[in-house]
Amino acid sequence: MGWYDYLSDLGAALTIQSVAAEQAADPPAEDESSSEGDEKDDSEEAESGDGEDAAEEEEEEEEEEEEEPEDIKDKLEEECMKTPACAPAKHHYDECAERVQGQIDENGKADEDCVEEFFHLMHCATQCAAPKLFRQLR
Amino acid sequence: MLARSSLRASRALGATKTSATRTATRNASTQSSSESAGSWKNAALASSSTALAIGSVAWYYYQYGRPMHAMTPAEEGLHATQYPWEHEKFTKTFDHAALRRGFQVYREVCASCHSLSRIPYRSLVGNFMTVDEAKALAEENEYDTEPNDEGEIEKRPGKLSDYIPAPYKNDEAARAANNGALPPDLSLMVKARHGGCNYIFSLLTGYPDEPPAGAVVQSGLNFNPYFPGTGIAMARVLYDGLVEYEDGTPATTSQMAKDVVEFLNWSAEPEMDDRKRMGWKVIAVGSVLFAISVWVKRYKWANIKTRKMLYNNPYAQQNATKHPGSVHRR
Repeated sequence: MGWYDYLSDLGAALTIQSVAAEQAADPPAEDESSSEGDEKDDSEEAESGDGEDAAEEEEEEEEEEEEEPEDIKDKLEEECMKTPACAPAKHHYDECAERVQGQIDENGKADEDCVEEFFHLMHCATQCAAPKLFRQLR
Repeated sequence: MLARSSLRASRALGATKTSATRTATRNASTQSSSESAGSWKNAALASSSTALAIGSVAWYYYQYGRPMHAMTPAEEGLHATQYPWEHEKFTKTFDHAALRRGFQVYREVCASCHSLSRIPYRSLVGNFMTVDEAKALAEENEYDTEPNDEGEIEKRPGKLSDYIPAPYKNDEAARAANNGALPPDLSLMVKARHGGCNYIFSLLTGYPDEPPAGAVVQSGLNFNPYFPGTGIAMARVLYDGLVEYEDGTPATTSQMAKDVVEFLNWSAEPEMDDRKRMGWKVIAVGSVLFAISVWVKRYKWANIKTRKMLYNNPYAQQNATKHPGSVHRR
């Protein structure tokens, strides 16, 4: 019967939702603890004898390490440009850029632009990089 | 007969072997008495009419069949890539930690130019801020009071019911401060642009290091492939580490863009979480009612569905005794 599948789907959806809710509930708890920890460190830095957890210190260390975060989007897209799917677009764009550079060198101005080639290249590269990028973002 | 006709066909085939094979079969069926001359004319007529037909159709499609574009691809802008947004799934809500981060990005980065005029402070409460946080935020700004006894309008600190203030007094002031370009209000921006979240994320992260070769970028504009026309007055604003998140999330460009886009989606659709829950309620209740209706229908129809109708022909029964075969003949 169709409606039995429907109900089982519903059940599956509800279980996923509950799992997601738990997952979502976790990071705020960490946030609170870390922010509280920061406040404590700020206010009673001198008398912070209790040193609540080793975890807080670890978090602080992580923050120090992550002082200069680096965006992986450009790196992912550059890797994607080398895949067989995007290599032709990259080839076309490079060829166009070379041609236009030649025109600039000869005549002092470009007779055409490589916007369309750039569009095709970026369309392919971002499409390839999108799921990889979002897997690594929070 | 069959043997003779096949013989004739093979003779005709042999005669027209030099012409195109497509016309050869046709000649076999319309063969006349003057075999050689007729088949040549027929072949010429058939092939020329076919060529005319194909040619006219091709010419028509060349003239009128191709899609028309009013603008060049550069003028249309690059179509935004589809990103796998978690909050856009049917069973998912906004990530409210991301909303908090996104609001921080809006406040520290976007708010210097873009207003968010449809969001009051009270709507932040319970979504990603506590009452006290939102009140403290509101009190940072001054708002007009009601006219007092002398008709003077004074200033008071903001309350929860106040709306987030705009960076400029009006559109003209915004244009004057931004080289003639008006930074749009962001309250409903996710709904207001084709591509929604994907467009804004692509726009924020899509500034190339340098425009593609030969592209003309007017002075005062920046190249962004996703903006229609590719020349956008807004420069790239999100750089790695621009914002320091209070939850320790590494503030990369993509992370900030993702958070602020999710926040803008919330500001455009603050009812989304409730809407999805309501949708699932409707589906749950509706499926129960549908199941009940199926069972009730079967119950009510049981009598009718199991009823048998019999018709005994009295005439046949009468005659059955006299002529045993008559019933079967009917």
